[in-house]
Amino acid sequence: MGKFPKVLQCLLKDQVITETQVWVPLLASDEMLGSVHTQEYLSNFITGKTDEKEQRRTGFTWSSGLVQRCRYETGGTVLAAQVALQRGLACSTAGGTHHAFPSYGSGFCLLNDLAVAAKHLLTESRIKRRILIVDLDVHQGDGTAFIFKDEPDVFTFSMHCGKNFPLRKQCSDLDVSLDDGMEDKEYLSTLQAHLPWLLDVFRPDLVLYDAGVDPHWEDELGRLRLTDQGLFERDQYVLKSVVKKGIPVATVIGGGYSRDVDRLALRHSIVHRAAAKVWKEYVT
Amino acid sequence: MDVSSDEADDWFMESLHMYKDLHVFQLEHPTKVIEWTSEKSVCVAGYSSPKNEILELLLPLKLYAGDKQGLCPERDFKVQHGGFCDEPVECLRHIFGKSNRCVVTSGHNSSKLQVWDLGEDDSDVIKRTGVINLERTSAEGRKIASGLTEDPSVLHGCQINDVQLIELASGKVLYAVGTDSLDAVSGLQFVNANEFVICANNGTLYVGDTRHPRIEQYALQASVTRSRWSFGLKTNLPQSDLASCTVSRLSSCGQVLLSDFRKMSSPVGEAQLNLQHSFPSSDFMTVTWAPALDNFLSVSGLDGTVLVFDTTRWTTDLKNPEPIFVHRGHHFSCEAKTDGTPLVVTTHVWHPWRPRTLLSAASDGSIHVWDWVDKENNSL
Repeated sequence: MGKFPKVLQCLLKDQVITETQVWVPLLASDEMLGSVHTQEYLSNFITGKTDEKEQRRTGFTWSSGLVQRCRYETGGTVLAAQVALQRGLACSTAGGTHHAFPSYGSGFCLLNDLAVAAKHLLTESRIKRRILIVDLDVHQGDGTAFIFKDEPDVFTFSMHCGKNFPLRKQCSDLDVSLDDGMEDKEYLSTLQAHLPWLLDVFRPDLVLYDAGVDPHWEDELGRLRLTDQGLFERDQYVLKSVVKKGIPVATVIGGGYSRDVDRLALRHSIVHRAAAKVWKEYVT
Repeated sequence: MDVSSDEADDWFMESLHMYKDLHVFQLEHPTKVIEWTSEKSVCVAGYSSPKNEILELLLPLKLYAGDKQGLCPERDFKVQHGGFCDEPVECLRHIFGKSNRCVVTSGHNSSKLQVWDLGEDDSDVIKRTGVINLERTSAEGRKIASGLTEDPSVLHGCQINDVQLIELASGKVLYAVGTDSLDAVSGLQFVNANEFVICANNGTLYVGDTRHPRIEQYALQASVTRSRWSFGLKTNLPQSDLASCTVSRLSSCGQVLLSDFRKMSSPVGEAQLNLQHSFPSSDFMTVTWAPALDNFLSVSGLDGTVLVFDTTRWTTDLKNPEPIFVHRGHHFSCEAKTDGTPLVVTTHVWHPWRPRTLLSAASDGSIHVWDWVDKENNSL
């Protein structure tokens, strides 16, 4: 996927951030991955023994480079979460692989980075933490919903288009299913109807935010009709709501599908630009 | 466990690699006709309720954006013109001739043909401009074909003995077939300005010439009882030499015959397709040749798929040929499975010049335009 390095490049080129703000992750360790994924799947995945049918469902053909990329990507989400706890706000230039289940990959997702990051933070701290996952990718975060269905300290909230993949939906703690063709205004007001009370009632210690750009009307797979401005206002709203309550937030870029990779990378950088604005206004 | 959702999700992921383009649209009512009215627009029409819409749809602009597809978000079909027909539409043809905005329709159980003007940019209404009253009511669909002369004309018939060529402007009968055959017409098509081919429901082919009433007949050697046949002609329209045409015939039990008009005594290719379901009704059988890919043939109407074959390697007596491509999109994105009847593809057509682009419609009202990836040549 050529879009990842381009996200960082356009943020530096546009001087939204400087090099000193860029942190580089480590590979997610077997132990970290093992808190979410089964040993059998990890072993097959890392050594390239997943079968053709399994690979078809993921949309990828296995390669060792793919495995490395996924492990760094997961490491990046873990790092963003850790930095967010230290500094208040951190953004990955990848992440959001929410269709990965414990024993199989699906929908371009091989390891569930949000789940691995959440589990890691739950277990590494001596104090009890509550984590809210806000998933605004146009596809339901089915893998994440499944992984945390019995975990009271992780709340999964997914707002997605009902008719998009996957047709077979899981149950998040809160699912908001949207109709095809929804535009900026109605989307934002639907979000505003849910996020504030969720923050007040669940009182998370950390928010992981999947800022998928596939609700955009140009997205090749998504069935909604948000504009660039709509995505920016969405991201700004989420980040402001969380930061104003003093809750740390880490973001991942989530899904986006377009043949024009440059345009797509620019769209993915919207959340970083919104974060830079919120940081200036509320944190510094 | 919801197996069908899972299968649909699996197919969706595979489709991202199988298709270069795939755009879907949901009509309010299903169509059994798709007829090109320009290189970017098609006409469809309802066949299932008393008041049926005729629509001219513009194909998604994204399809034509070439390398700039990433910049073109328009992937919806757009309704350009629409009108209402007072009867279910069995057959719809775009008429060749001076005005290229004319279509003719025939209805089920009807004794007339209706003539329509698709309208220009100044109006979005498809208007009925004339009715041709016929002597006989067709119990089933009356088949129609466009004449290929400058003055618009239409060839029509429900039985071989009532096939006529009618001049649209005057309603005058220009030609009538001179035979007593009561065989039901399955399809008809002009090969050039004068010569035409008719396929009967029983698979017999008739070849005629509007310059004389005599008609030649080519019956099937071993006819399959209780099978219905439809045909597809491979021609170089609008002026073909009959001898250079290949004809394919498809039966409701899945047999496909390929014949050459130079030697009709025996087929040049024959195949038996593997049928998943058997349908009591064979209203929707469609077999067509690709205009831009040599020897590629497509079949639909037997189930919820469209099958594409490369017939280059077909011999006589081929069992279960391997298709080059199977479009399962209708089967997997069937939104409304009503009354338990299985989904069936009602019709399909090839794009006139884009090699691997087809349109297909199904009984759930879906209409798809798709362009599959040629894996063998690795072209994307």
